[in-house]
Amino acid sequence: MGKKKCVAMLLAGGKGSRLNSLTKDLAKPAVPFGGKYRIIDFPLSNCTNSGIDTVGVLTQYQPLLLNSYIGIGSAWDLDRKDGGVTVLPPYAETSEVKWYTGTASAIYQNLNYLKQYQPEYVLILSGDHIYKMNYESMLEYHIEKRADVTISLIEVPWAEASRFGIMNTNEELRITEFEEKPAEPKNNLASMGIYIFSWNILKEYLEMDARNTKSSHDFGKDIIPTLLDENKKLYAYPFKGYWKDVGTVKSLWEANMDLLNDECDLDLFDHDWRIYSVNPNQPPQYISPEAIVKESLINEGCTIEGEIDNSVLFQGVTVGKGSIIKESVIMPDAVIGENVKIEKAIVPSDVIIPDGTVIRSFDDEIILVTEEMLSGLYPAF
Amino acid sequence: MKRKLLGVIDATTYHEDLEDLLTHRSLAALPFAGRYRIIDFVLSNMVNSGIRSVAIFPKMTYRSLMDHLGSGKNWDLNRKRDGLFFFPTPVVDSDINKIGTFENFAANLDFFYRSSQEYSIITNCYTVFNMDFKPLLDWHIHSGCDITEIHHEDGTPMEMYLVKTSLLIKLIETRNETGYTCMRDAVLDLEHQYSVCSYVYSGYAVMIDSIQNYFSTSLNLLNSDVWKQLFIKEQPILTKVKDEPPTRYLKGSVVQNAMIANGCLINGTVENSIISRGVKIGKGAVIKNSIIMQKCVIEDNCYLDSVILDKDVKVEASTILTGTARDPFVVRKGTKQGALMNS
Repeated sequence: MGKKKCVAMLLAGGKGSRLNSLTKDLAKPAVPFGGKYRIIDFPLSNCTNSGIDTVGVLTQYQPLLLNSYIGIGSAWDLDRKDGGVTVLPPYAETSEVKWYTGTASAIYQNLNYLKQYQPEYVLILSGDHIYKMNYESMLEYHIEKRADVTISLIEVPWAEASRFGIMNTNEELRITEFEEKPAEPKNNLASMGIYIFSWNILKEYLEMDARNTKSSHDFGKDIIPTLLDENKKLYAYPFKGYWKDVGTVKSLWEANMDLLNDECDLDLFDHDWRIYSVNPNQPPQYISPEAIVKESLINEGCTIEGEIDNSVLFQGVTVGKGSIIKESVIMPDAVIGENVKIEKAIVPSDVIIPDGTVIRSFDDEIILVTEEMLSGLYPAF
Repeated sequence: MKRKLLGVIDATTYHEDLEDLLTHRSLAALPFAGRYRIIDFVLSNMVNSGIRSVAIFPKMTYRSLMDHLGSGKNWDLNRKRDGLFFFPTPVVDSDINKIGTFENFAANLDFFYRSSQEYSIITNCYTVFNMDFKPLLDWHIHSGCDITEIHHEDGTPMEMYLVKTSLLIKLIETRNETGYTCMRDAVLDLEHQYSVCSYVYSGYAVMIDSIQNYFSTSLNLLNSDVWKQLFIKEQPILTKVKDEPPTRYLKGSVVQNAMIANGCLINGTVENSIISRGVKIGKGAVIKNSIIMQKCVIEDNCYLDSVILDKDVKVEASTILTGTARDPFVVRKGTKQGALMNS
């Protein structure tokens, strides 16, 4: 196997429990986003667009759909003779089955995967975020700074800073302190969960961490603080642009609505940085003579006979006559009957909404429609 | 079915009536229904019917067709055994309007010898339809006929034939003695000893052979009865994948009775029209009864009625272009239309 300068490791085992029923049967990286994509399309497309052709995808929670979605990686042009995409689930050894207990343990257990490529650098990514980023520029920065580790940071609103891992740096952007979810943050530069490690540092510290029985085997909680304690060269890479953690129903909804905003930095129409995905091969969308479509994003295979206002519709959605969909996200192959009203809601894949249903929240909360709700057990409507 | 039926698509046809749309491409590669090329219909039908080996015989301007088909991956035809075969023909001066031109097949006779499929279906490349060939093969085998020709319900021959591969080889080899240049000649000859049967197909099918027919067939797609017969979930029409984002409707968009492909930015009015992938429609622009092909840009305040814009056409702001239902205004690929040129 050929030597690779940089290999990416994509952590895709997340459960995303705050997405409630959306992640009941699928891992968070497989959650649909933006009318056509799944969250994992963003880091995978970023890899391809950044010239990184070797990506290990670490799966654990509900991997069935994710595995079949990734396939051999051809959707992202990652079906390569040498390298390409490799799905890396937890595995059994002679003594025991080793589940991934933390982000660091997941990488540690796949050191053999990395060793076969003899990489100089390892890029660690998370499959939970929506953003476009050139990892090659970050790698150049890492090399230029002669860093041991480079961590990508983004400015977050001060009010939200205590929800993130906050990095304090000196003037040269060398990281001096890391605080995980600090009550009183000293700045608002949050870790995006994107790391570039020089290979020997990664190997050394993962092996050390694995021997430490007190460690929770997590990059943020264990590896990074240890490296700081030992005065290793950790640099911050400031990222400017759109970045969103879609960990909750509300943030997932918001990120979808962002796509309808002209001011939004996330441009899906940029041909120089395409976001690739597995294409469903459906006919063009059909907008009937009775339909009204206002400021929306609609994918192929939809049949629209009602009114769509400020909404995102995935492939294969049907909206019947007299129905009004407002500020909502309708996931693949959902069937909306006639005279239905839906406002500020997320309708998951394949859900059938009967004629005349009204789904609307009274307290600005975003409603995640579930089968239980539709069977009449839910008091919201 | 897997090893039983060989698909043979004759893509050598050229229709002079479609000239304006065929200067850069062969008929097989004519864009249709917003995201397809005409050949996608017959090719997908073959694949959906379980055919695993398809030979395509194109002629002349076949660059766009080759680009479209690639390795056959989008039709699942990039196989180690069988798959998609492409035979550009060396013959350039024979009658180009004949279907199943044996001369073209003869140049690649080895392929037919090597094929393990007992039967062959020979089709044209320009029919818009969604047909399952499995019942046809069963019917042919049970009927015991030598040649089965598909007829549409209304009696029109559909220029599609089912024969034993061995008979096809024989017809090709004896073409000089018999004088047959194509399957049609063999079927029409009353003197031969073969039994010829007719299989009637009652689904939707249109052969695209003129601009007028292309235009009306395209706009007919907006009729949901037609739509439902062509786009069937279990028998999808497959095409080359483009990775366009979903289409975005902006503040100024008013869209009614339209078929719209992915990757469009719509800021104007669209009525009774087909809009292909990656089209941009400016503010205040009005598009009625028209077919807009891939990546066209229609700037602000244009008015287009009964127009066909070929790929990559740019219509500058405030331009008015109109045609009629019988005689649509056709704009050639990659050209620019300005307000001053046509006002």
